Amino acid sequence: MIVVKDLKRYYGSGQTAVKALNGVSFEIKKGEFVAIMGASGSGKTTLLRILALLDDATAGEYTIRGLKVSSLPEAERSYYRLTQVGYVFQDYALINEMSAAENVYVLSMMEGRSKKESYKTALEALEKVGLKGKQDRIPDELSGGEKQRVAIARAIAKKPDIMFADEPCANLDTNNSKQVLDVFKDLNDNYGQTIVMVTHELWHTEYVDRVITLEDGVLVSDEMMDEGGEEK
Amino acid sequence: MINDIRVGALIASSSVKRGNKKTLMFIVFVLSLIFMNLVFLPSMIGGMTVLFTGFMQDYPYGDVVIEPTGDNTYINNADSVLKKVRAVEGVRAATKRLDVGASIDHKQNVVGVTVTGMLPTEEYEISQYPYIITDGDFLGELSRDEIIIGAMIAGTGFGSEIYDNLGEVKVGSLVDVTYSNGVKKTYKVKGIMEGTFELVDLNALVHYKEIEEVYGLEGSKATSVVVRIDKQGTEEQIQDKIREAGVNEQVFTWADKSETLIKQAMQSMGAIDIMSKFVSLIVGAALILIIIYINILNKKKEIGILKAIGITPRSIVLSYAFLSTFYVSLGIIAGLALYLSLMFYFQANPVVFYETMEIRPVIDPMLLIQSIITMLTLSVIAGTLPAWSVSKESILKAIWGR
Ligand SMILES: Nc1ncnc2c1ncn2[C@@H]1O[C@H](COP(=O)(O)OP(=O)(O)OP(=O)(O)O)[C@@H](O)[C@H]1O
Ligand SMILES: [Mg+2]
Repeated sequence: MIVVKDLKRYYGSGQTAVKALNGVSFEIKKGEFVAIMGASGSGKTTLLRILALLDDATAGEYTIRGLKVSSLPEAERSYYRLTQVGYVFQDYALINEMSAAENVYVLSMMEGRSKKESYKTALEALEKVGLKGKQDRIPDELSGGEKQRVAIARAIAKKPDIMFADEPCANLDTNNSKQVLDVFKDLNDNYGQTIVMVTHELWHTEYVDRVITLEDGVLVSDEMMDEGGEEK
Repeated sequence: MINDIRVGALIASSSVKRGNKKTLMFIVFVLSLIFMNLVFLPSMIGGMTVLFTGFMQDYPYGDVVIEPTGDNTYINNADSVLKKVRAVEGVRAATKRLDVGASIDHKQNVVGVTVTGMLPTEEYEISQYPYIITDGDFLGELSRDEIIIGAMIAGTGFGSEIYDNLGEVKVGSLVDVTYSNGVKKTYKVKGIMEGTFELVDLNALVHYKEIEEVYGLEGSKATSVVVRIDKQGTEEQIQDKIREAGVNEQVFTWADKSETLIKQAMQSMGAIDIMSKFVSLIVGAALILIIIYINILNKKKEIGILKAIGITPRSIVLSYAFLSTFYVSLGIIAGLALYLSLMFYFQANPVVFYETMEIRPVIDPMLLIQSIITMLTLSVIAGTLPAWSVSKESILKAIWGR
């Protein structure tokens, strides 16, 4: 459902241009849980931001469900971000002055649902990520793992086509990381959520179906993970 | 758009609910000072204007004043004018006066004055003259060869140092008055009046009959007929009614008469007033802009995040418009409270000029409404512009700074 063709992203221009992405092509199918790996500076974040419509490619083509999103005007991209794309940031990126529930339901309100309905969806999403009963806490009153799970709830509450996560566990200890990855796995296994996650932790690959590896802005490997390997 | 408003309101309200209360209080405090600055000085200047215009009504002109037409020195048959005027509905009282030029001397001191001939018993209803006698008594119906002298020329009142004076004239002193027609007459000082206003304190009062006699006038002549009315603000209607009643002399309202005099005095005040308002507005606008801009710079990342997750820039801008309107509303309320308490303080304890001129600030509702609207407009602009410019920035730049 995602098709990327010869995607390029240069920072700057001319001789000094940094070729963060230098012609990347791949496809992601519905329901896949994909990890993007690679050394620091290999272009993972750059790629993910383009896929999540937070940034523009310098060249190349990007389609979601056949729609050429790379050339949409900003207002439509904004609507697409709102309705089709979930993004989980490395540093949670929650609004500090909003409670967990508000952080989640502000999006459904943006989509035009009633406050009551939005609140209900938010509670469901928070329950899905194991935060039942913590909906009224503000980010400062939550642990790192809990914050990241609120961010995930925010991303999934709108039932996006695809969810992107850029090193969602980078600021978390192993325990919290596992909780977050379990949530991803659960969403992927039980709800068929398509997930693209950037990570550099090898052990995270146990949770995913497929690993794409970048090196200096190009794709160097694309492997399906052994089904048996991820059996629990 | 409805969604934008709802989301904007949600963002704004959570920001108020859980935001830093100290910052909020500080912002509101500064805004309240800005508001005060906008309304305080104009209120004081308004108080001064009221004081001066009050003088015009209380002494020379009443509410409406009738003066001779054209080149005539006198109104002929002032009594018939008075009769017509008193019959006009809304007129409370009216009297005739004779103003003439004269010089007064006392122990080799000579001072030029206007001597007003008046009917003492009628003046109680017309002017403040009977009530400002600081020494001795006001004229009576039978006062002849008696004179009331302004404190400044008597040499006792405030301002005596500035103007020529007669040097310690007291009640009972004898002064010589030489009228403009050359007639010279000696008067006994019956009282000293002090209105703390040059127009009053540099003059002298005698009985109407004195002037009539000195100038050999007959048939109730007058240099002016002074009219007081029942209700302030109806001067112009009464002015028309007096004309309709068949008075063919010139009929002025006190405002018409004061215009040149007061206008000159007020023009400099008005200039100060306008300049102070202008400066307050500029300073206020700049402060509001700075406060809200700094506030928004701190929220840059948050704005980027909101955009990244799909919140429309319009909701974000609206949330800041709501926020700044909220801040400013609180600021206005606090400013109003501060302003009103100061007003009440100064009304109870007026600022005193020239020892007895008490300036009480005037609360002008129009000014308040104007200032409130101005502040609100400014705040919406000041709150919206920076938010708009930040919300136009790319998401990457807003969140990650590059
Ligand atoms: N805004 C930018 N301006 C210039 N160069 C940039 C910018 N953003 C990224 N780069 C460069 O592009 C390359 C790819 O960066 P990117 O952030 O995508 O790497 P990454 O794979 O996510 O690395 P990490 O694992 O450290 O997060 C790097 O060389 C980086 O220095
Ligand atoms: Mg990265």
